[in-house]
Amino acid sequence: MSTVPLFTDESWQMPSKGKVAMLSLIIGECGIFGIFLAAFIFYLGHNLSGPTPSILDVPVFNTVCLLSSSLTIWLAERAIEHGEIRKFGALWGLTILLGLEFITGTALEWYTLIYRDGLTISTNLFGTTFYSLVGLHATHVVVGLVGLTTIMIFTLLGKVRQEHAHRVQVFALYWHFVDAVWVVVFTVVYLVGR
Amino acid sequence: MADQPVPIAGPLEVAYPTQGTFLEWLHSWVTTVDHKKIGIMYIVFALFFMMVAGAEAMLIRIQLAIPNNHAISPEMYNELFTMHGTTMVFLVGMPILFGLANYIVPLQIGARDMAFPRLNAFSFWLTAFGGFLLYYSFIGGFGLYGMGNAPDAGWFAYAPLTLRSFSPGHSIDYWAAALILSGFGTLGTAINIIATTLSMRCRGMTLMRMPLFTWLLLVVSALTLVTITPLTAAQVMLLLDRYAGAHFFDAQAGGSPLLWIHFFWVFGHPEVYVLVLPAFAVANEVIPVFSRKAIFGYPAMVAASVGIGFTSLAVWAHHMFTVGMSAAGNSFFVLSTMVVGIFTGIKMFNWLATMWGGSIRFATPMLFCIGFLFQFLIAGLTGIMLAAAPWDWQLHNSYFLIAHFHYVLVGAIVMCIFAAVYYWYPKAMGRRLSETLGKWHFWVFVIGFHMTFDTMHFVGFFGMPRSIYTYEADRGWNTLNMVISIGAFIQAIGVLIFAWNLVHSYFYGEEAGSDPWDAWTLEWATPSPPPVYNFVTEPEVRSRRPLWDIKHPQDPDWKYEP
Amino acid sequence: MSEQIHLEPKGMVGQHIAMPEPTAWPIVLAFGCTMAVAGLLTSWGIGILGGVLIVAGCVGWFRDVLPHEKHEEVEVLDQPIIITSHRALVERIQVHPRHRAHLPVETYPVVSGIKGGIAGGIAMIIPALIYGWIAHHSIWYPVNLLGGAGVIHWRNPSTADIAAFHWQGLLVALAIHVITCLLVGMLYGAMLPMVPRHPIVLGGILAPLLWTGILHSSMGIINPALDERIAWGWFVISQVTFGITAGIVVSRQERVPTGQSLPFAVRLGIEAPGLMHSRPDVGPPRDGGKH
Ligand code: HEM
Ligand SMILES: [Cu+2]
Repeated sequence: MSTVPLFTDESWQMPSKGKVAMLSLIIGECGIFGIFLAAFIFYLGHNLSGPTPSILDVPVFNTVCLLSSSLTIWLAERAIEHGEIRKFGALWGLTILLGLEFITGTALEWYTLIYRDGLTISTNLFGTTFYSLVGLHATHVVVGLVGLTTIMIFTLLGKVRQEHAHRVQVFALYWHFVDAVWVVVFTVVYLVGR
Repeated sequence: MADQPVPIAGPLEVAYPTQGTFLEWLHSWVTTVDHKKIGIMYIVFALFFMMVAGAEAMLIRIQLAIPNNHAISPEMYNELFTMHGTTMVFLVGMPILFGLANYIVPLQIGARDMAFPRLNAFSFWLTAFGGFLLYYSFIGGFGLYGMGNAPDAGWFAYAPLTLRSFSPGHSIDYWAAALILSGFGTLGTAINIIATTLSMRCRGMTLMRMPLFTWLLLVVSALTLVTITPLTAAQVMLLLDRYAGAHFFDAQAGGSPLLWIHFFWVFGHPEVYVLVLPAFAVANEVIPVFSRKAIFGYPAMVAASVGIGFTSLAVWAHHMFTVGMSAAGNSFFVLSTMVVGIFTGIKMFNWLATMWGGSIRFATPMLFCIGFLFQFLIAGLTGIMLAAAPWDWQLHNSYFLIAHFHYVLVGAIVMCIFAAVYYWYPKAMGRRLSETLGKWHFWVFVIGFHMTFDTMHFVGFFGMPRSIYTYEADRGWNTLNMVISIGAFIQAIGVLIFAWNLVHSYFYGEEAGSDPWDAWTLEWATPSPPPVYNFVTEPEVRSRRPLWDIKHPQDPDWKYEP
Repeated sequence: MSEQIHLEPKGMVGQHIAMPEPTAWPIVLAFGCTMAVAGLLTSWGIGILGGVLIVAGCVGWFRDVLPHEKHEEVEVLDQPIIITSHRALVERIQVHPRHRAHLPVETYPVVSGIKGGIAGGIAMIIPALIYGWIAHHSIWYPVNLLGGAGVIHWRNPSTADIAAFHWQGLLVALAIHVITCLLVGMLYGAMLPMVPRHPIVLGGILAPLLWTGILHSSMGIINPALDERIAWGWFVISQVTFGITAGIVVSRQERVPTGQSLPFAVRLGIEAPGLMHSRPDVGPPRDGGKH
């Protein structure tokens, strides 16, 4: 549905404004992530003291969970497009669970880093860049989870129908982005950085 | 029109003075989601801050008019030039471009509103509140001496001066926080403009038929997406340093102030193009209409604009030649900067070719655009000079640099903003601005401009650095500085004439009618001011100049366009 | 001449158009965000106020759009628009048939210039290397003369330095050589058809001599180090080799029509009445389907 009553005409079709807007937002987000990534890479090996990236454990399970949530949300998109609302609900719920697993995993990781290794944002350059970059991503996951949950609640209340498929897909684009960015963050922080 | 039954007030509130109380009037503006009203609010907001920042500039010039002056305190002086720069870029340049985009783009593409009207309102208010927050720092930002303290580290806020240890108190926090807020507002509007231009075009308006104004604002908005976000990210880092004890820019802990400089200019250079492309956009509309010829080389114009957009992302370190880079780095940024000159050259020639052989009308908008052409040429040339690293080593951060970018910002951008206001005011208000006052405004302003900024090049050559509080009398800068200050005041008079024109013509201006300039784009096919819904029925276009087609049925453009 | 066209709101007057309803939630949300940030700068209380406003703003906004977007009916006003111009006269550009006839009607395609540049560039390497070998027993000598700028640590190199191999020098020399050869080659492609007679003599021998002369007089300013060491005799030989090879290769290629017969403006992509013939096949129909 359009916000403003569009002049409708089948022979004159424009790209979906929701998708255009979401893609633009994603491009903008890339700018933000790019700067934080640049800072992380710039400071690799510049620590004057304290823990270095070698203390990190590679969060394989977390990553698998987050990436597979991209798959489940895609299946959910297809389900709602075909009007299979129950299937949609189930897959959507699964996506939320996977996202929750990821964010809990990150929380646990930070807990060990802070209390076992004594690494905080002010400890050294690694702490500064690590927490801000991974934290930036985690913030996006949390925002995504809030959105996912809102849609879930409405699904449970039976308010989500086939005609909302487009909006759901626009939102799902954001979630795909959050996952895709994780691939980059993961590579830089846990594979290259370590 | 005033006796029509009007369910909701149109964009020209005062046309219905008997309607409702002041509170209702205010309410209708505060809650509006109409792109035209939001556009007007953006522009009024920007013009207001233009006056504020202009007043700051006047204070700076009073302080510098004579040597060894103490008209204002050194602390105040730092605050003034910081706030002047920050305001002019973020609270004047950006809002006015978004105001114009808001008002004009939907009309030009035959849409009823922006793609996301509520997001539009939200973005505007975010920018506006960000601006007010920034200015609240004059009273609220507890500074070194426990008194109100505005940001004072320059508009580029180089680290480490901005870190807690050197800038205690909250002034820098105000700077970062306010700009983060307005940055998100900017992002929202940019997304909105992109979605509007890509998804809301009326029937027949293919991308290659879109008016060049709209094209350029599309490019600007796309550029904004990747321009404003790095600044936001860097400012978040700055706040993390200041509040959470992070060490991004903290040299003591191994952090690097150099990183800030990079991040700032990764934003800063594309930003200057974000500001100047809308000026080009205005020239693209005004010059053809007042030359009575279609724009020369439409495809080349589009390509050059997109080209500028991309190249401007890869030139930022020309602001950093004196920071010290490798020879390879220097060479790269010298060359990439000069490439921008090529695209800009294409545009200059296309404008000239548009005017060539046309029957030119020297109305006020056109006068300002012609001024723009002259001044932007010189600004571009001094830019190319500064882009040569050895030259820049000599003149970086001298008044020559200040002259260069003020030639762009005032000589090109502000001139085109004036042109835009003279050109579209009749559409928005239903009345024309006075031509007589307009010509006075133009000549007074241009004379003041050249007194000030031509002279600045020379004090720059004679070694006067930027951002100095005062200078000794024996440097040989005295006369020139006095000339600069006098020129500044002449410009201020010009702006006051403009302000008077805006107010006076609002009440007494000549009725404009729907199409006062005999122009060709869709906004002139609506009443002035346009009704809330812009177009009753969907317009349909077949060429780049739909109104030309209607006006000249024998020679419609669609017969000739590809 | 021009007929008047009325954009009447035909029959729409008094009807209603749905527009998005004014709403206060965006400003509430924006104010909330501002207060939340201001909380950081002032006190917690303000931050909390901001948080509350943000939540309120989000919920309110949400209910504005869901489940159905709120609209307001706006009545269509009777505001007829007359689109007309009193400047009905359209001046047509007169394109004389012999306009710009002195430019070639046929020319070599761009690729021929590129081919010529490549061939000439390869050919001129040979005399240059021979010179290096004869004069300094090193084929790297001419390479480093050209690309010395790339060897960043060089300050006043000795002859032995220049005669040695430096990969940076090689890279930079290659880049300079390739770019100049291609550009000059393309210039040849563009200019040879304009040369009235004996293109090979003029373009292959005279032109290289001329530009060597220019370089000879200006090299002292552009690159003093090169100027000191350059052997101008050999330089001329290389240049002429390039000129002749490139010229021969270019002139062997097929010619293509230039479009010179079309007016200049049309070739630049300008469309205007009088410049080109109107296309009778394109009618005024709704061509909206054409993207
Ligand atoms: C052909 C076009 C241009 C070129 C080649 C160019 C080049 C340069 C260079 C090399 C500098 C750095 C000088 C230094 O820091 O020492 C500079 C500074 C600057 N330019 Fe330009 N410029 C061009 C156009 C513009 C435009 C269009 C704008 C504004 C809309 C602009 C605004 C500025 C500003 C604001 C600075 C100073 C930044 C500062 O240090 O505060 N320039 N320009
Ligand atoms: Cu720049």
